[in-house]
Amino acid sequence: MSREVVVHLNINGEDRTLALKPNTTLLAALRQHLGLTGTKRGCGTGDCGACTVQVDGQAVNSCLLLAVAAEGKRITTIEGLSHDGELHPLQKAFVKHGAIQCGYCTSGALMASKALIERNGTPTSDEIKEALAGNLCRCATYPRMLKAVAGWKEFEGVPFDARPRVHAGRDQQRDHDVVSHGVTRYDAPDKVTGRAKYTADVQLPDTVVGKILGSPIAHGLIKRLDVSKARALSGVLAVITGADVPDEWYGVSPAREDEQILAKERVRYVGDEIAAVAAVDEETAERALKLIEVEFEELPAVFDPDAAMAPGAPLIHPENPRYARNVNTRVEWHFGDVARGFAEADHIREQRFVGNRTYQAPMEPHAALARWEHHGDRLTIWSSTQTPHYLHRSLSRVLGIPMGQIRVIRPAVGGGFGAKAEATPLDFCSAILARMTGRPVMMEYTREEMFRHFRGRHKQYIDLRIGVKRDGTITAVDQRVVLDGGAYTSYGVITAYYAGAMLPTLYKFPNFRYDGTRVYTNLPASGAFRGHGVPQPRFAFESLLDMIAGDLELDPFEIRLKNAMEPNTRTCNALDVSSCEFTQTLVRARETSGWSGKKGALPRGKGIGVGCGGFVSGAGYPIYRSDFPHSNALIRVHEDGTGVSLHIAAAEIGQGSDTVLVQIAAEELGVPYEWVWLVDCDTVLSPLDLGSYSSRVTLMGGNAVRAAAEKVTSQLYEVAARELGCEPGALLAKGGRIFVKGSPAQGMDWAAVARLAFSRKGPVVGTGSYTPPKQLGGEFKGGTVGTSPAYSFSTAVAEVTVDLETGYVTVDRFTDFSDSGTVINPVTFHGQVEGAIVMGLGETLLEDTVVGKGGHFANANLHDYLIPTICEMPEIFTAAVESYEPRGPFGAKEIGEGSLLPVLGAIANAIYDACGVRVTELPITPEKILQGLKDLELAEKTSSTAGSRRESPAHKVPT
Amino acid sequence: MAMTDFTYLRPNTLAEACAVASRLGSEAAFIAGGTELIPDFHRERETARHLIALDRIGELRGIAAEKGVLRIGALTTVAEVAASALVREWLVALADAARAIGSAQIRNVATIGGNFCRAVACADTPPAAIVGEARVRLVGPLGSRELNAETFFLGPRRTVLAPGEVLVEITLPSQPAGSGSSYQRFARRKGAALVVAAVAARVTLVGGRIGGARIALGAVAPVPLLVAHAAAMLEGERPSRALFAKVAAVCAGEALPITDVRGSAEFRRELVNVLTRRALDEAVSRAEGARS
Repeated sequence: MSREVVVHLNINGEDRTLALKPNTTLLAALRQHLGLTGTKRGCGTGDCGACTVQVDGQAVNSCLLLAVAAEGKRITTIEGLSHDGELHPLQKAFVKHGAIQCGYCTSGALMASKALIERNGTPTSDEIKEALAGNLCRCATYPRMLKAVAGWKEFEGVPFDARPRVHAGRDQQRDHDVVSHGVTRYDAPDKVTGRAKYTADVQLPDTVVGKILGSPIAHGLIKRLDVSKARALSGVLAVITGADVPDEWYGVSPAREDEQILAKERVRYVGDEIAAVAAVDEETAERALKLIEVEFEELPAVFDPDAAMAPGAPLIHPENPRYARNVNTRVEWHFGDVARGFAEADHIREQRFVGNRTYQAPMEPHAALARWEHHGDRLTIWSSTQTPHYLHRSLSRVLGIPMGQIRVIRPAVGGGFGAKAEATPLDFCSAILARMTGRPVMMEYTREEMFRHFRGRHKQYIDLRIGVKRDGTITAVDQRVVLDGGAYTSYGVITAYYAGAMLPTLYKFPNFRYDGTRVYTNLPASGAFRGHGVPQPRFAFESLLDMIAGDLELDPFEIRLKNAMEPNTRTCNALDVSSCEFTQTLVRARETSGWSGKKGALPRGKGIGVGCGGFVSGAGYPIYRSDFPHSNALIRVHEDGTGVSLHIAAAEIGQGSDTVLVQIAAEELGVPYEWVWLVDCDTVLSPLDLGSYSSRVTLMGGNAVRAAAEKVTSQLYEVAARELGCEPGALLAKGGRIFVKGSPAQGMDWAAVARLAFSRKGPVVGTGSYTPPKQLGGEFKGGTVGTSPAYSFSTAVAEVTVDLETGYVTVDRFTDFSDSGTVINPVTFHGQVEGAIVMGLGETLLEDTVVGKGGHFANANLHDYLIPTICEMPEIFTAAVESYEPRGPFGAKEIGEGSLLPVLGAIANAIYDACGVRVTELPITPEKILQGLKDLELAEKTSSTAGSRRESPAHKVPT
Repeated sequence: MAMTDFTYLRPNTLAEACAVASRLGSEAAFIAGGTELIPDFHRERETARHLIALDRIGELRGIAAEKGVLRIGALTTVAEVAASALVREWLVALADAARAIGSAQIRNVATIGGNFCRAVACADTPPAAIVGEARVRLVGPLGSRELNAETFFLGPRRTVLAPGEVLVEITLPSQPAGSGSSYQRFARRKGAALVVAAVAARVTLVGGRIGGARIALGAVAPVPLLVAHAAAMLEGERPSRALFAKVAAVCAGEALPITDVRGSAEFRRELVNVLTRRALDEAVSRAEGARS
């Protein structure tokens, strides 16, 4: 063991002397030795930029610099950015432009920006992009970062003003004080200063480090497992294997509980968890893992659904006879009569589409910290989770302790997108190891381990057939999908249903057959990823619709308008669409994008395409059967009436739900936004919310908050009515006052009423709950999936340039119109849409996990699994077409997931328009485009007599 | 993702560095910027027990032109190379190649010497330097030697460096009058992405004809490839689209690409074809610009 050396660093203007081992990175020195946790670890290999600090003024990845190499240097971290409580102009600019979502990349992006503006005070857009190309932001706040850095000088010497800059503006004009206003994000001050604590930032005394040993092989039986050498290593406190963990099977989907904390006998993918250790530090823990001896009986493995379902294929879950031929889930739906629908069609076209296995790649790695408290019988767990409640329930079930003895704390979460929607082995192992060692145990995934744990997008093999009348009216849709599920179920049952359920919500068609098969393979489990199961079917549908429009010489907009969903419609699969402004999103996107002047008029290599999408505003039913309300809120008015606390265990993961819930509370209570304290991170302090998945928080959490607020105001009205000598029903709370409707002068200060109420009756508390309408959905198997109180709709137009020699695609412009009901916050609304466009661009053009030899992911890092950088960001125009959703709070619906869905098809259609190549397999890589161009050239040469052809000829297929 | 243990040594002179390195032998590695070495520790591809930091050795830093030779110290950061007016004037392809590496954060720390010595196949600066007839000066326990940059690389992560030997500087001779250079790279993403295929070219125009040319390929062979006979096809000829297409096809044939997660061998060959034509076009137009 090498000895510690003395290192002198000037940190944020202060000379610090540290004794460090030479292998300590500057990042570790800052975070672990100095407690400066504002600097984040996103990858540890210099690919993401979350750890950016300034060293002698220059932007540097602190994960790549040894602390000893920084000897004598001047280091500035995010904590050194503001002075005397005054934010740096860049910080103000980030807040004001809404350049913050999950906040995990924010510190790094701010430091890289600061290094830039110190060198160049008036950077151009290209210079900003060059400076920030190494700062990955999965929320893709890139357009806002660009504006913030370009306009930073506006904020120089100007005192910080937290009031909204964006008023209702272009989105709407309604008589609201808080709702529909672009108020400053609730979490912005903490995220822009590095004060926001993510799970790995929580530092408790005596904490030890846990690590998990993953299987090196894709399929096998554990024949011998010897941990004695690991246990004997100095600094190791505990080692656990399958023998030390409960026998309980678990899984987020109660219908298919097929996971165990650590493998009992069988490993099913490369990375499957075998053992875990707790040790005094990470280095010791990793050394201990290497000392664990495992012998396997290696079994044949299968890496795609066809191989998995082939006769004689090895069974991945032989313990359960229901999974014959490795089939995990079957969906067989038939609505209407497709045979008749196709018989009525004038034109039928079918096509196979293949999706990609994309990963959410949130910037914050998964982490969990567990500590046993009280008499050692109560567990507190801090976890980076989108679904504190499902984590809570899983821990209780698997560990065999009541939920009442478990406290789940969800610190700030650096993005999830579905990757953090279920309990992880980190949660379970940290709890078990903490109990064994009697010390807090912190566990974090490395970037590679994140890829191995996965729960990303299912790769889908889609056979889609659509029949239409001559005018484009859809008569029948037949869709068969095979989903590669990986080794476990995760959310996959629901994914398999969603892959079909969402198609009929966008276009009206009477006849629909859907056949879905989710198959186990020896790969990391796929799960729920933004747009859950729908992006690939939607890509297929939007592509095929364009191909059909081409065959019939219809404009792509025409065929969409012809079939567009209308308000108050029951779909063929028994989903109830209430508010719907889909047609308006089409009309306005066509107009604003300048479609009619561009379509067919662009030079070769330039193209324009349209795509559409829509999604649920919260799932109609919970993951497990339960009568609990889905969202619950409690509001307590502070004693002197000048503040209120809003308690709801909702999960802010970057999407802006904290802000939206606080806005709804303030609006309904009639108090300023600034009065509300949100208490949402802790299951001891706040009532249940099911979490951030299925785009549910605005509608469901918002309704619960509104109901709680109404209970508060009704109590205040009673008190005020007595004082004012009127009926409680005549009163209105608004803008910090309670007054008689229609005569504002006849009233009292809100705070004065609240003080009176407290003085007379004690605490003023209101509670509210939300349960979706009962009996949503049809009376058929799986009829609950896809149900929702409301649906969103959007249309996007993409404009691209294709390099005809290399196949490289540049997305130049996006125009998006979305119907998400009333927009509660225009800034977060636009931020979500912009982020979805950039993420969708990555899914369409760049992203795919590559299965290497033996079933490991060959690109489990952020330099080979490429997600979009600020340089990939197109020019983006987004706008809302507001409907009023009667079931939503103030008329609101979702935006986070639906906005992703149009993107893939829009880009694919624009590429076809640019170069005549129809790529049906995602991602659309330069190689595939080049191949397509070659095929076209060949076809043109050989069929010059047979007439030109760009796509395989359409034909009518008998049903 | 902790790194294995190592000691960290910071010699003050080159001689001391060489002496320490030869004493410690294969258990030691030099560290410059560390932007590739540190991740290699994490991936357990690097297992050195001792790191010898070169950052105190002043003579390894800086860019200077003297007696018709441009000297780039091995510890000069990639950002400094990219921003250097001297480099840009001397061999713009090299400045462009440096600017294409990684992110601003990486370029601020990574060194041109590191880009050579880690010798990954997708390194950006070597092909560009090679078309400028770069030489490398190595100093070791047995003294100093100089060789052509294209002979420095033996294979992926392998160079001619002997134990204890340090790459001190990369030198560029005066570029011939009437020459222009270009570095063309293809990556899957615009921001901060490793190269899939790259072509560097330098063309010298003499009275409207090509007096001489050099072409080097990156990321399509175990080492940067100087394709001398393809370049020779240009000599004495007038620049033309047809000629460049012919040369590009030969370059594509010379490439020895592999298939990996960044692209297939076949695609890389096609890229060489396209990038060669683009590099020659740009080099010619720069040569014409230089002459006027």
